[in-house]
Amino acid sequence: MPHIQDYIESGVLELYALGELSPAEQAEVEAQAARHPEVRRELQEVQAALGLYAEAHAMVPPAGMRERVLGHFAAHAHAAYDTDSASVAVPPATSSLRAEVDEMTRPQPAAGSPVVRPMSTAPVAEEPTRRSLWAIAASVALLLSLIGNALLYSRWQEANTNLLALQGDQTRWAATQASYQQQQGELRAIREQNQILRSDEFRAVALAGTPAAPTAKARVLYNPATRKVYVDVKNLPALPAGKQYQLWALDKGKPVDAGMLAATTVAGDSLQQMKDIASAQAFAMTVEPEGGSVNPTLSTMTVIGNI
Amino acid sequence: MSDSPPISIPPAAEEELVKRLRARDESAMTLFYDRYSAALYGVIFRIVKAEDEAQDVLQEALVKIWHAFASYDSSKGRLFTWVINICRNLAIDKIRSKQHRVGSRTTGLDDSLTAQRQSAPTTFRPEHIGLQEITKQLVPEQRQIIDLLYFEGFTQSEVAEELNIPLGTVKTRARTAIKLLSKLIR
Repeated sequence: MPHIQDYIESGVLELYALGELSPAEQAEVEAQAARHPEVRRELQEVQAALGLYAEAHAMVPPAGMRERVLGHFAAHAHAAYDTDSASVAVPPATSSLRAEVDEMTRPQPAAGSPVVRPMSTAPVAEEPTRRSLWAIAASVALLLSLIGNALLYSRWQEANTNLLALQGDQTRWAATQASYQQQQGELRAIREQNQILRSDEFRAVALAGTPAAPTAKARVLYNPATRKVYVDVKNLPALPAGKQYQLWALDKGKPVDAGMLAATTVAGDSLQQMKDIASAQAFAMTVEPEGGSVNPTLSTMTVIGNI
Repeated sequence: MSDSPPISIPPAAEEELVKRLRARDESAMTLFYDRYSAALYGVIFRIVKAEDEAQDVLQEALVKIWHAFASYDSSKGRLFTWVINICRNLAIDKIRSKQHRVGSRTTGLDDSLTAQRQSAPTTFRPEHIGLQEITKQLVPEQRQIIDLLYFEGFTQSEVAEELNIPLGTVKTRARTAIKLLSKLIR
């Protein structure tokens, strides 16, 4: 069939797949495809190629869009949908839906009304009338049942939506509660630190970097009356694995262990309370094996400061 | 067809989805979203070129697909073909209704096309890299013509005008490009 080949070669199938044809031209292509397997095959290939082209440009929608789009769908799945506006965009598909709907809603001849019927199809006049009466009765019953179902369904959906909303609220509330408690904890810690910082009894001892770590900087808050010691890190060099900073109080030239610095303290996150110190004239920090040493490794001294 | 092309959305999975949608199974739309949103969003975004508008279109498309599903005829083509056309039509309607095109048309075709190509790779899904390679084998004029028709929503005569070529050439060039694509995926 050479003319079929010409038809295929004309490019009309490509235009069909690209949505470039008028409804009449679309119908023509569909008719040709239904009639000729080679047209159908070619059309499928064209559609597959364009589908692939689309997929090659796939983009994952931004986060959060899934919930919004599916939420919108859930809200509109039961709403009456305006099929007239729908048919504008997809003419070939909805036109057949249209035909089916028209077919279903076409008025049935009522009993007793004058009906012109060819002789051959009306051998007994009464039978079709009765049948159509039954059909009407059945249709009415079906319609009522459908309406009932629709009502029940929409109520059920409503209840479902409310339930989902409540569950959402509950989850949000629990999350808020948890973060509130966490914030309370943080607030308490900050208040304590604030008290220490504001207290007149505490003396701030600035610890400056040694030549080995010139940018290192920390501060000790020392209360000789209560013997309390806090350390506040500004900047300390990162530690090698297996090492920890150890604070020393120097009392008359003798080093006294004041405790190990936690990693969060080294990072400068918060103040850390150290061991109580009875008397000191200076504080210093050294790098020691984890857990600390009895005597400071002087070569690793990072910061030092006099009271 | 025995020589089915290597498409990342397998026809078997599609059949299952069609069955559930036909049975009016609402939860199937979640599956539908997970399977098709990237492909649909890619096409929509390239047409409307803005995230919130792309979301509007995708949203509208899902509702439409659900309500018009009875009119999907699997003998006329794959579900994917049907839904992507719905999305394209809605997206094109959107830019037309906003007179969006008047502005964006004059910004220069080359700028907008190259901008899209440059921004695209970060959002490509890894499984599509093979597909991307395939489409790169099209010569620029072929890509351009498909992009204009498919992603920009131009009509044939608008393309002819834009590229300053005869209408007949639009047709043959589109055909050659699509022909080459289907040869490559086989």
